[in-house]
Amino acid sequence: MDIIRVDGLTKTYRNGKGIFDLDFSVKEGEVFGYLGPNGAGKTTTIRQLMGFTNADKGNCTILGLDCRSAAEEIQRHVGYLPGEIAFFESMTGLEFLEFINAMRKTKNTTMMSHLIERFELDPTRKIRKMSKGMKQKVGIIAAFMHDPKVYILDEPTSGLDPLMQRNFIQLINEEKSRGKTVIMSSHIFEEIERTSDRVGVIRDGRLVTVEDIHSIKSSLRRVFVVTLETVEDIEHIKKSNLEIGAINGRQVEIAINSNYQDFISTLSSCSVVGIDILDQSLEQVFMKYYGEGGNRNE
Amino acid sequence: MNKALFKANLKGNWLIAVIIMSVMYMYLAVMISMFDPESIEGLREMIKMLPKELVSAMGFEDLGTSLTTYLGNMYYNFIAIMFPMIYVIIASNRLVAKHVDSGSMAYLLSTPNSRLKIVATQAIYLISSVASIFLFLILAGIGTSHAMFPGELDTQGFILLNLVTLLAFLAISGIGFFFSCIFDDTKYALGFGAGVPIAFFVLNMLANAGDNISWVRFFTIFTLINPAEILAGSAFTPIAMLILLSIAALAYAGGIIVFNRRSLPL
Repeated sequence: MDIIRVDGLTKTYRNGKGIFDLDFSVKEGEVFGYLGPNGAGKTTTIRQLMGFTNADKGNCTILGLDCRSAAEEIQRHVGYLPGEIAFFESMTGLEFLEFINAMRKTKNTTMMSHLIERFELDPTRKIRKMSKGMKQKVGIIAAFMHDPKVYILDEPTSGLDPLMQRNFIQLINEEKSRGKTVIMSSHIFEEIERTSDRVGVIRDGRLVTVEDIHSIKSSLRRVFVVTLETVEDIEHIKKSNLEIGAINGRQVEIAINSNYQDFISTLSSCSVVGIDILDQSLEQVFMKYYGEGGNRNE
Repeated sequence: MNKALFKANLKGNWLIAVIIMSVMYMYLAVMISMFDPESIEGLREMIKMLPKELVSAMGFEDLGTSLTTYLGNMYYNFIAIMFPMIYVIIASNRLVAKHVDSGSMAYLLSTPNSRLKIVATQAIYLISSVASIFLFLILAGIGTSHAMFPGELDTQGFILLNLVTLLAFLAISGIGFFFSCIFDDTKYALGFGAGVPIAFFVLNMLANAGDNISWVRFFTIFTLINPAEILAGSAFTPIAMLILLSIAALAYAGGIIVFNRRSLPL
């Protein structure tokens, strides 16, 4: 059963940006990663799902209800984490969470206390005085504490330290095993990779692809920076079939799509000093999709 | 109406209402204590030394002879307009536009409460806070007058005067609320929400100041508060009240309807 459905959704802003003819759906119990660089239209889509904005064309539904007109009913079953968190700044963390509970008429606070403990949040501090990461924790707790069926999470791990990021990913996986449906946006592939079943890639407001995480992984292009002992080794690699990028002294960049076997066997005959994965932008990771899109735009 | 949100509003905004009420009460108490049927001549002499235009602009021209007319002219032409106006400008902006601009509105709307319910709660809060200010003024005015000059205050006239002023502020707060609801940016919401009431206020002073530009009185709703006429039992007062009430109803309803329909930049 489709929990979230997006049908021909179009919303254009005055500056020409927006989202155009989006079509996708998220099934029950699925974690859907919504991936795209900043400004691609991720938040615009989520605003539509939350019923904040009117669409120009098309529509979206959650649990079969129209996101704009049935927002009140939908919100009973949705946990939402905004991309830019703005609270009632004069409240403390706990006051805010209790306020949201009161707005939701939620009486049960077990999940809230459990999450406060889990994310090691000091809830007595004024929100105004909190760091970005602490605010993010408050946002996550507010989104999860009423145990909803559906989660809509906009860049959920931004601002969290690596330990808390892992903690969060664990939470998502637990919720998934409890049959919850999740859509989460991100501009970092690694974060989506560890939780999602399917991934939608968006660029310039258009959905470039919706694919199974495994097929995406196998077609991913990764760049390794290999440091070798001698310059001769570089000559050896140059002779192989591997795709070679910049060479800097005894360091060479090698791009791999799925030919890991080639890569390893070539390297095995060289003396390797070190291997690093190059941090790449999303465009570079998804060269395959973005490349096509780029050509179409020209 | 959502009780939790109403309470949160109260928690976040009570201080400025209390400050406004304290300042207003301070002026009121001073004004009442300065009333003295005998020495009112002295006050007239003092006012004569001020520029004539300034005196008329502030509505101090006719001091009247009773405590009620004296208060009507000294207080309800200027102070009872200026301070509630400051409150209304700040509060109407904070209740809607600020939440939209900062993004905290996203949290309110992510709870199972319709947009209509959220924005109507904010309207009800603004209306009841403005009403509280004037209720306080009525009680404080009657109490203080009674303590200092027992029997001097025309209680009925005084209540009517406050009622008309309250209606004017329901209209003004409605206008502020309307602008707070329709703009994405607090900059515009505050610009119009403050600009229009201030323009009304300045036009009111101009209309009082000179006969040759008294036609500007048709462009401000504050001229509908005319203490001398209200206290004299003018037949126009009920009409003025009806006009103010209609403006208030239209502005609040307009703000709520637009907010309910529009796209929010959250």
